[in-house]
Amino acid sequence: MDISSDESDDWFIESLNTYKDLHVFQLEHPTKVIEWTGDKNICVAGYTGSRSEILELLLPLKLYAGENQGLCAERDFKVQHGGFSEEPIESLIHISGTRCVVTSGSSSSTLQIWDIGGDDSDVIKRTGVINLKSTSVKGCKIAPGLTDEPAVLHGSCISEVQLTEIATGRVLYTVAKESSDSVSGLQFVNACVFLICASDGTLFMGDTRDPSTCHYPLEDSKSGLHWAFGLRSDSSQSEPSGCTVARLSSSGHMLLSDLRNLQSPFCQTQLNVQHDASKNDFLNVSWAPVLDRCLSVSGKKCSSPQPVFSHRGHEMSDEAKYSGSPPVVTTHSWHQSRPKTLLSAATDGSLHVWDWVDKITDR
Amino acid sequence: MPDIKVTPLGAGQDVGRSCILVSIGGKNIMLDCGMHMGYNDDRRFPDFSYVTQNGRLTEFLDCVIISHFHLDHCGALPYMSEMVGYDGPIYMTHPTKAICPILLEDFRKITVDKKGETNFFTSQMIKDCMKKVVPLNLHQTVQVDEELEIKAYYAGHVLGAAMFQIKVGSESVVYTGDYNMTPDRHLGAAWIDKCRPDILISESTYATTIRDSKRCRERDFLKKVHETVERGGKVLIPVFALGRAQELCILLETFWERMNLKAPIYFSTGLTEKANHYYKLFITWTNQKIRKTFVQRNMFEFKHIKAFDRSYADNPGPMVVFATPGMLHAGQSLQIFKKWAGNEKNMLIMPGYCVQGTVGHKILNGQKKLEMEGRATVITGTLDVKLQVEYMSFSAHADAIGIMQLIRMAEPRNMLLVHGEAKKMEFLKDKIEQEVFVRCISCYMPANGETTTVVTNPSVPVDISLNLLKREMALGGPLPDAKRPRTMHGTLIMKDNSLRLVSPEQALKELGLSEHQLRFTCRVQLHDPHSDTDTLGRIYTHLKSVLKSYSIQHVPDGTVIVESIVIKVTSSAEEPNLKVILLSWSYQDEELGSFLSTLLKKGLPS
Repeated sequence: MDISSDESDDWFIESLNTYKDLHVFQLEHPTKVIEWTGDKNICVAGYTGSRSEILELLLPLKLYAGENQGLCAERDFKVQHGGFSEEPIESLIHISGTRCVVTSGSSSSTLQIWDIGGDDSDVIKRTGVINLKSTSVKGCKIAPGLTDEPAVLHGSCISEVQLTEIATGRVLYTVAKESSDSVSGLQFVNACVFLICASDGTLFMGDTRDPSTCHYPLEDSKSGLHWAFGLRSDSSQSEPSGCTVARLSSSGHMLLSDLRNLQSPFCQTQLNVQHDASKNDFLNVSWAPVLDRCLSVSGKKCSSPQPVFSHRGHEMSDEAKYSGSPPVVTTHSWHQSRPKTLLSAATDGSLHVWDWVDKITDR
Repeated sequence: MPDIKVTPLGAGQDVGRSCILVSIGGKNIMLDCGMHMGYNDDRRFPDFSYVTQNGRLTEFLDCVIISHFHLDHCGALPYMSEMVGYDGPIYMTHPTKAICPILLEDFRKITVDKKGETNFFTSQMIKDCMKKVVPLNLHQTVQVDEELEIKAYYAGHVLGAAMFQIKVGSESVVYTGDYNMTPDRHLGAAWIDKCRPDILISESTYATTIRDSKRCRERDFLKKVHETVERGGKVLIPVFALGRAQELCILLETFWERMNLKAPIYFSTGLTEKANHYYKLFITWTNQKIRKTFVQRNMFEFKHIKAFDRSYADNPGPMVVFATPGMLHAGQSLQIFKKWAGNEKNMLIMPGYCVQGTVGHKILNGQKKLEMEGRATVITGTLDVKLQVEYMSFSAHADAIGIMQLIRMAEPRNMLLVHGEAKKMEFLKDKIEQEVFVRCISCYMPANGETTTVVTNPSVPVDISLNLLKREMALGGPLPDAKRPRTMHGTLIMKDNSLRLVSPEQALKELGLSEHQLRFTCRVQLHDPHSDTDTLGRIYTHLKSVLKSYSIQHVPDGTVIVESIVIKVTSSAEEPNLKVILLSWSYQDEELGSFLSTLLKKGLPS
């Protein structure tokens, strides 16, 4: 830290007040996935280069030390398990209640199934594959099934979305919709009901007990835009009524819809974002699991409206100072129980864990 | 097969003490001689019985090398050299030699005076031990004896820390000690050349971690200091004279300047002179920035940091004090602590490890009540620890990524990781073995007490005579290539310490022997009505048609010659049609000669 006031030094000094906790790590290779595999564990995976590593990391113990935080000096991530993949990894999901993760690679014709492993070994082993009907450069979109028997919902275009049982490879359900629109994201709301968001913003809702799927196109659909979606479900209810869907377009248009009425969004707003057609890969929107009605957006620089908090750690890092272009956040994830803790990763391989201070409520 | 043996000494799988035995080219070297800080009995010393069951170690060890002054690397040195017995050379860098005895004496005082131990080394033993030390400089090759040489490389980590290359003939081992691959405020990063050792031995305690950035650690430190000072509290930072103290001072000075803070920062008396002295002495061991600063001004001439006087501890209001010793076991830092411990507005920041038995160690384990003794002027009885305690680790170690970086720098043929749990490091092992750029053969992870034998493939340099080389080149064919070995014919002479490859004739000449030539002869009988001369002519024609690639001569004196093979035809007067073909060839043409005799036995074409 030099005496000269560098913007990044300013940010660093400011961070003493704006963050409660801040941990900055440098992975060997950047990741575009952060997936929780336990209370204190996440999985990350490489997407650059043909041979990629999958790592299961234990979060710094200092975060969990509570009252004894002062006496705990453990600030580092621990690599608990690691494995090698022969393809760059676009998506990674964890099957809850198991040690199984499923990955999809860029331009790959299979989904890979992995066993993260237990205490006796630190190697993540591949245990099987699921064959896909087609390949996609962005990789097949995947989501974990919420039934007792581990299954994965997957598809790169709407007509190919299906639910496959992991252990047997049996196809449990297929979407009977003739649509070649590409899938931007998909997720189960409960054990049977699922939502698919197409790249053009259209929502599809299906039920594994029912062969038909309903679709809800946008009222005012503009071409050339890419849409991302985030689901918030009230986990205490098994009925899908308490579920809110957020959709965000690459031009900053944000729509909030309730599952009971997907046709008409109950809230719309426009975020002022940098519109760059080539950089839609990392557009990400998600709901805070604990905080009420709080959404986070990453992958695009947003100038207005004024967010509750903006994490500029990635662009203010030492590494970013010396590189030509600022790093782009590839993905982010909320901590499952700590209200204001997030993890974020960027194209320069950085991985941050941070707990922000709400200037209004935290004084 | 030539091999190198590596054995980490110690009891069980416990981390916390470094002492590694290496056997290479008939030499035995001990790398580090650390004390295990967790034990109070003999388990804290390395198990020297591996070297020899009883008696002194001198004749079994060619040398001892100490990588840096941390106690888990040198704590057992006086015990080994004076109580077990070793009189050979002990190698370490200059700063290590200067600082080691101070730490050892401190450690001895705590163990003996505070804990009342008896089976421990004395002050005199420390002095006697240090007399056996041979200091060395970075990148300087030192001949331990005619065959064994060692060289030190910069390791970062702490002042004077080094990585060592041990070489016997063409076999070598590199031991890293503790090192780090990212520079910090006062030390540079470790560096080594592409020395391609047969084995690279590295600590793997942090091999499976990904370290939080230095900036975030500093941020935490500043945040805590700032919060305490803002609420009017006092911050005590117990430090050892060297190392973290400088880092933290520079950090605070910059921060104070930036934030225009007014609270005083003090540096304990005695600390300044000592630290200045060592830094001046070992300025080449610090990083570029520090060196530049030193040229301009005194290391400790800070704007905001002043010398401490013991009376200041009673001053009201916020302040920050750096005081020795680092583990709060005695002296000024303990005195200040006793005064400030009862106020919850105050804070204690421990920047490093504390040995068992010290107040620092107790506090870091959460103890809130301490039994204190002292003079009448100081608080006696039970001390309530109400101030905030922060344990911050600033030590610089290489993590998973750092280890890979070092491997790519040195390009070892094999990797050996000590102090890790084997089953928790299989992924790292796979990663190392698959490292494309290095083609490292294997990664070993021995448990303490377990010997790893690594077979080496040493290259033996041999001088080749120019004549022989020219002769070989004249034979044509592809040029010699590292990837495509070519066999050649010659004689190897091993004389004194040299190896030479010469032509056989040259070798014979040098030995005063004459060369013997072996020739084979063979008689083939043939029925042929022609004259001897004509028969020979027919043989000549026949051979010409069969041996198209050879040059065949028909000499007027009555012989046919192919290479060294001579063919004559004779017959007896009684039976002129029974021709006897005489073939003779030298040993070198055995194959061709046999072929021809078989051919001619079949007869000649009409």
